[in-house]
Amino acid sequence: MSLKQSALIALAVSLASISAWELYWRGQGYWPTLNDDKDLWAVHRARVEEATEKDFVIVGSSRAYFDIQVGAFEAATGRKPIQLSATGSSPLPAFHDIVRNTDFRGTVIMGVTPPLFFSTTFPMAPPWERIQGKVDHYQERTYAQRLNYPLSAFLQQNLVFMSGDEEEWADDIDLKSLLGRIRLGNRTGAPQMPPFYFFGEVSADRNMRMTPQTVTDTALANSVARVWAFFGKGAPPPDKDATMAFFLSDLEAFRARGGSLVLVRCPSNGGFREAEKHVTPRTDFWDDLVAQAQVPAYHFEDYESLKGLTCPEESHLSGPDADYFTQELVRLMQADGAIPNR
Amino acid sequence: MLFNSLIFIVFLAVVLALYYAPLLNWKGKKGMLLLASYVFYGLWNPPLVLLLWFSTVVDWVAGKKLAVEENPHRRKGWLVLSMVVNLGFLSFFKYGDFFLKNFTWLVNQIGWDFQPAPLDIILPMGISFYTFQTMSYTIDMYLKRTERARTFLDFALYVTFFPQLVAGPIVRAGDLITQFYEEKKATANQFIWGLFLLTIGLFQKVVLADTLLADAADTVFGAGKLLHPVDAWTGTLAFSGQIFFDFAGYSTCAIGVALMLGIFLPDNFRYPYASLGFSDLWKRWHITLSSWLRDYLYIPLGGNRHGILRMYVALMVTMLLGGLWHGAAWTFIVWGGLHGSYLILERLQRRYLPFKITARNGLFLAFTTFSCVNITWVFFRAREFSTAWDMITSMLWLRTGGEKTLELATIVQVLVVVTAMFLCHWVMRDRSMKEVAAKTSPWVLGLAWGVMLFLIFLSQGSGEQFIYFQF
Repeated sequence: MSLKQSALIALAVSLASISAWELYWRGQGYWPTLNDDKDLWAVHRARVEEATEKDFVIVGSSRAYFDIQVGAFEAATGRKPIQLSATGSSPLPAFHDIVRNTDFRGTVIMGVTPPLFFSTTFPMAPPWERIQGKVDHYQERTYAQRLNYPLSAFLQQNLVFMSGDEEEWADDIDLKSLLGRIRLGNRTGAPQMPPFYFFGEVSADRNMRMTPQTVTDTALANSVARVWAFFGKGAPPPDKDATMAFFLSDLEAFRARGGSLVLVRCPSNGGFREAEKHVTPRTDFWDDLVAQAQVPAYHFEDYESLKGLTCPEESHLSGPDADYFTQELVRLMQADGAIPNR
Repeated sequence: MLFNSLIFIVFLAVVLALYYAPLLNWKGKKGMLLLASYVFYGLWNPPLVLLLWFSTVVDWVAGKKLAVEENPHRRKGWLVLSMVVNLGFLSFFKYGDFFLKNFTWLVNQIGWDFQPAPLDIILPMGISFYTFQTMSYTIDMYLKRTERARTFLDFALYVTFFPQLVAGPIVRAGDLITQFYEEKKATANQFIWGLFLLTIGLFQKVVLADTLLADAADTVFGAGKLLHPVDAWTGTLAFSGQIFFDFAGYSTCAIGVALMLGIFLPDNFRYPYASLGFSDLWKRWHITLSSWLRDYLYIPLGGNRHGILRMYVALMVTMLLGGLWHGAAWTFIVWGGLHGSYLILERLQRRYLPFKITARNGLFLAFTTFSCVNITWVFFRAREFSTAWDMITSMLWLRTGGEKTLELATIVQVLVVVTAMFLCHWVMRDRSMKEVAAKTSPWVLGLAWGVMLFLIFLSQGSGEQFIYFQF
C-alpha cells in the first residue's frame, strides 16, 4: 500500500472535482452569496446588547427585511439600523427577546405582515418557530460556533457551491437539495409546494435585497407568487386574541422602560393583497392593532407617495423601490416626530 | 468544538504545527496538548472545564493514595471518594431532572401534592464518557490492575485528551497513559492513515448520517401520529443507519486525529450490523463502553461465576444500567432491557437449541439480529412511549390506517444506503479496513478518498452536533 500515492491522488481528485463543480455552477449563472442563516442573525442580535437609545432595531417578516434597506436608512438617519427581521416569521418572538432579554431603550421598527403577525403564538408553528430558532441560537451559541462563523461566511462569500441556505431554495446546490429534487410520484398525497427559487440576496450587514432577475424575469416572479398562494391556502385561521395580548404585554414593558415602537405595514399587491383583505381585513386587524398599541403607525395605503409601489412577486419591493420606500418612510417618520431628525 | 466544523480544521492545524515544530520538548508538547484539550472543551461552555479539573484532581489524588495505601479500609475509602464524586456529578447533571420528575410522580401517586420547579440543569458535554474513563483508572488502581500515572500532566492529559474527550472511545488508563511517557511522533504512513480515517469519519457523519438519513428519521419520529408500516420501518432503518454513521464517524475521526499525533486509540466499532447474535453485537458496537460495563459492572455483579440465574440477573442489570447511561429517560431503560432480554434468550437458545453457524445461515442470522436491533432503536429514538408504541405496532402490522409521511424517493434513498451499509458490514465483518486498504490499488484508494472529500464539500453540512454528545 502506498498511502502517499493515494493521498496525492485523493488531493488531486478532490481539488479537480471541486473546481469543476464550482466552475460549472458559475457557468450556470450562479454567484457566491452569503447564507441568510441563524449565525448571521445572531451576529446582529449581539449588536443590540451595545445599542443606545439613539439606535434602531428592525423586526418583522420578509417585507420589513426586503423593503427597509439598511444603507438607505443609514443615509437618511445617520445610524445603521440593526436588521433582525426574518423571512416567513412573526415579529413577536424577536420583539419579546429584545424586551425581556436586553436593556435596549431605542426605537424598534416593527414590520407588520398581518397574516404572519396575527398567525399564532404556538411555539411549534412555522411563523413562530422560524424566528424563535434564531433567538434560541443566539442565546445558546457556543464560542466555537462564534469562531466558526467568520470562516464559514468567508467561504460562502467566495464559493458558489457553499449555498446550503436555511431557506432550502429549490435552486440550492448542496447534496441534500440536489437529492431532494428527485421526485417519484406523490406517495403521501400531500399538496406539492411549487418550486421556491432564490430571489433575495443578503449582505454581511444583513441587508436583504431582491435580485435584479426577479424584477426582469416575470416567470421567476410569478413562481415566487405561486409559493405565496400555496402558503396562503394551507394557513390556519389567524389567532388575533393570543397574538394581540402577547404583543401588548411586551409593548407595555418596553414603553415602561423608555423604548419607542413604530409599526410599519409594507406594500403588497395583486392576489396576495386580495387574500390579505379577505383573511385579515384592515379594520379588524391593522386598525385595531394601531388603536390598541397607541404608537406611531404607517400603512403604505395611507400615503400617496407609497401606495403606488408595485411588488414584482406581489409581496416585496425591488431593490430601487425598497431604497425609495425606506427614504420616504424615514421622511414620514421624521416629519411626525416618530423618530428624531438626523 | 465539533470535528465537522471549519474552526476544528484551524484548531487541528495549529495543534499539529505546534506538535511537530521543533519548539517544545515532549513535556512541553504534552502541556500544549492538555491546554489545547481544555480549549477544545471550553469553547463549548468555559465554566464546565471546572468540572473536568475537579474530576481530574480527585482521581489523581485517589490514584496516588491507592498506589501507596495498604490498609484495606482506607483503600476502599479512596475508591468510594472517587466513585461518589464522579457518579455524583453524573447523577446531578445528567439524572437530576429525571430523578426529580420520577420522585414527583411517585409522591403524587401517594397523595402528596408536590410540584417542584424543574431544575433545568445543563448537561456538560461528554460527562458520561470522561467520568467513566477516570473511574476506570481509580478502580484499576484499587484492584492493582494498573500502575499509577507517573505525573499529573500525564494523568490530566489522559482524562482530557481532546480527540476522545466528549464521545469516546473510552480508553483505559493502561492503554493511554503509558503512551504519554515516551515522545510520540506519527510516521508518514500513520499520519496519512490518520488523515484517511478522519475523512472516513467525516464522510460517515456529514454525508451518510446528516445528509442522507437524518431527515427521514426526524420526519418519522417527529410525525406525532400513527404511520404506515413502510414509513415506520423506513424511519427506523434511517435512524439505525444515522446513529451508526454518526457515532462510528465520531470514533473514526477521534482515532484518526490521535493517530496523526502518533497516539493509538482502540477501535470502537467493528461492523456491528453484521453481528451473528447479540453477544457478538456487543463485541462490535461501542466496544469500549461494553467492555467497560463488562469489567466494572457485569463481572463485579457475579458474571457467570454464580450460576445461571445470577448470570441472567447480572446481565439484565448491566444492560438496564447501560441503557440509563445513554439517557435519563425510561425509554432508554427499556432499550437496555430489550438488549438484556435478547442476550438472555440467546444464551437459552445456545443451551437448549444449539446449531452450527454456516455461511448460508450466517447471513440470515445477521439479518435477524439487525432486524431485532432495529426494534430496540425505536425506544432509543422515540421521546415518548406513545410514539414508540405507535411505531412498533405499525412495524409489526398490528394496526392499520397509518398515514404515509415519506415520499417514495426518500424511501428509496434510505433503503439504498441502509442495504449498502448492511452488505458492507457483512463483507467486512471478519476484515479490517487497513487490511482491505492494503490490498487495494493506490489509485482506487486515492480515487475513493477523493470522491469522499468531494461529497463532504458538496454536502457542506450545517455543523450538526453528534448524537452521542447528548449522552
